[in-house]
Amino acid sequence: MKIISSYSIKGGVGKTALAVNLAFAFREAGHRTLLIDLDPQGAASFYFRVGSAEKFKMRDARSMAEGLRRNIRESDFPGLDIIPSNLGYRHFDILLDGMAKSRKQFRKVLEEFRPDYDVIILDCPPNITLLSENVFRASDAILVPVVPTVLSRRTFEQLTCFFKDEELPCKALRPFFSMVQKRNKMHREIMGELPESYPGFLTTVIPFSADVEKMGLHRMPLLAYSHACEAARAYRALCDEIFSTLNPQP
Amino acid sequence: MGSLLKINEGIRLVLPNDLKVSSLQEERHVVFHEQESRTLAFWDTFEWGLWFGGYVLYSYGGVYHLCSREEGWLGAVICEEETGDRRRFWGDFETVSMRTALERTLGLRSLAMVVEGTFHLRLGELRNEAEKIVCRLELSSVSAGREGEEKLLRTCQVLPLRGYEAEAARVVEYLTQRGAKSSGDGPVDVLLRHANNEPQKYTLRPSFGLTKETPAREAIGRIVRTMLEIAVSNIPGILNDLDTEFLHDYRICIRKIRSVLSLVKDVYPAEGTGRMRKILGDLARQTNRLRDLDVYLLARDEYLGLLPPELRPALEGMFEDFSAERDIEVQDTTLKIRAHSNRKLLRKMAVYFSEETAHKPSSSADIPVGPLVFRCIYKRYRKIREIAAGIGTETPDEVVHQLRIECKKLRYLMEFFSELIPGEEGAQMLKMLRRLQGRLGDFNDASVQQKSLLDYWEHKKSGPDVAMGVGGLVSILYHRQQQTRGLIKQSLGEFCGGSTAAAFKNTFKLSDSVSAKSAQ
Repeated sequence: MKIISSYSIKGGVGKTALAVNLAFAFREAGHRTLLIDLDPQGAASFYFRVGSAEKFKMRDARSMAEGLRRNIRESDFPGLDIIPSNLGYRHFDILLDGMAKSRKQFRKVLEEFRPDYDVIILDCPPNITLLSENVFRASDAILVPVVPTVLSRRTFEQLTCFFKDEELPCKALRPFFSMVQKRNKMHREIMGELPESYPGFLTTVIPFSADVEKMGLHRMPLLAYSHACEAARAYRALCDEIFSTLNPQP
Repeated sequence: MGSLLKINEGIRLVLPNDLKVSSLQEERHVVFHEQESRTLAFWDTFEWGLWFGGYVLYSYGGVYHLCSREEGWLGAVICEEETGDRRRFWGDFETVSMRTALERTLGLRSLAMVVEGTFHLRLGELRNEAEKIVCRLELSSVSAGREGEEKLLRTCQVLPLRGYEAEAARVVEYLTQRGAKSSGDGPVDVLLRHANNEPQKYTLRPSFGLTKETPAREAIGRIVRTMLEIAVSNIPGILNDLDTEFLHDYRICIRKIRSVLSLVKDVYPAEGTGRMRKILGDLARQTNRLRDLDVYLLARDEYLGLLPPELRPALEGMFEDFSAERDIEVQDTTLKIRAHSNRKLLRKMAVYFSEETAHKPSSSADIPVGPLVFRCIYKRYRKIREIAAGIGTETPDEVVHQLRIECKKLRYLMEFFSELIPGEEGAQMLKMLRRLQGRLGDFNDASVQQKSLLDYWEHKKSGPDVAMGVGGLVSILYHRQQQTRGLIKQSLGEFCGGSTAAAFKNTFKLSDSVSAKSAQ
């Protein structure tokens, strides 16, 4: 089982679109996939037409796993399940804080799902909290959408500094360019420079696309309603790239 | 299609004819898709090997689908293979998954179509206020054949989605309140019954419902009638040359009937028994050569594998000759079996052993079959021990062959009357006998095969390459035969002494009083 998180401190960079479409692409490739919407805004849940999760008590890792399990909802696409968002998830931090090894507990929770799923995708809230630290330590890959703008570059640099300072697994950090406009000169320049400083950059690029923005109208992943558009192809390519990165051929 | 008919999840309901599922739309938001119809051809062997092995094989649009069987419903698809051609044997399939799955259940048996049915499928989705699917429905009706009008069965499978099980439960409740049933035959059951082709267990070792007290003539009559019925059921398969096992089983039935008539004496009048044995002998004889050729051809790959690659092409010619001879022999044999005279012989036997036919009295007709047969079994066992005592490294092949025949007679008796033999001891004795028979069989096969290879060479007078191939194979078979001698000696030791001897004595040797009483 591989755990992949979609993370960004900055909002509006295509983080949820990534989580939703990547989950669909993994399911399309035959992997049993679970998408956990950890972002209290619940956009990923909205895209799958799934209501909020029910509240549950969280005393320890086991009861947390049990509560999450009870909230699993099958999406309209067989092979892809969702644990929808709940405002109660903001209490994760308090709960985790009270536990021993409070920075590694979430991995233990997710391990409970190993028999049922091949891939877990986490749509994370855009902040740095104890839950975020747990997600970082639990993930096999932390995908960070970077829009090739000055501000996004600065945010990404802040994140890498934080990883180094806190001795988090920098190798798991896998940035990629998101919402790219090829005709934009600044985009092209930043895309030329940034990967030189950060060799972990994935090669797949997600283009800016009006089709992606229509996800809110369709309330389903882009790959489900616009199978062959450029952005859909890019998400599928990203899925392949991540899969081969996590399962290197001998 | 497999996924559409899957039942390993969800709830299957059989619908009454007048229930319209579309009425669900009046109360709930259900979206139905277009109906699609598919005609499926279902395949199995004469023995229903797939059905009783827990599988269903069907073809549709040039693709074979192997599914698990859930009662009379199609279960999950195990494997699929695309093909334009008809597949008869497991070896005709190309994909490893299909070959592996079928090899064990099909063996040497061929596939034949058992029924054809048309499935009309309509998928539906129950959605909530947010238009999210909360339950799936698979409506299906099945009719016989390709364009059957009459709907034999209507079903609805309710497939819950995880986290929305309550919605599915409500649909099930709605339908059951209107007469839907969660039990009953599945679509494949219904199709087979409609075609009057329901799966039946097939065995060469049936039970006859005997007790030790059953009068001997009644017991033997029951055995003969049953075995004759099995023999006759194999005739269509022989005439159509579906696979080699029809002839094999037909011959075994004939041989077994003949054997029981000569082993358990004086049950029917001697003159009639002699006549029936002659008929059985004639029937078996007319199929001898075809069976020999079947045996050679079935062993083709094994034979060729025994030789170094450079000698194989020469021997392939021999198998081609056998194959050509078999084609002619099939025609000859089927002509004989089809002949009026042959059918008359079978009818004569059926009449002779019919329950209605009155026969003259004979000395063992009315005595209880138990003691009578136990005496016969113990006599056979002692005879085997006698022959075994003389077996050594120099014993001629004919004596070993005689021992094999005696073992076969004993085996037939023990199998026919297995209902009278205590379970555990009987199983242990039969296990030992089977092991011995296996080795005697290997010895005999090696001996007969050497002879037939040399006969072929003698008759054919082919070139030196064939001589080398035949010579090479004869040497290997001779070596194999000599090795088997040692194993036979070992098996005989186990079978004729120790606990096996004690078990035979305890089970079958009757006290003098029982023996005298039964003989009266």
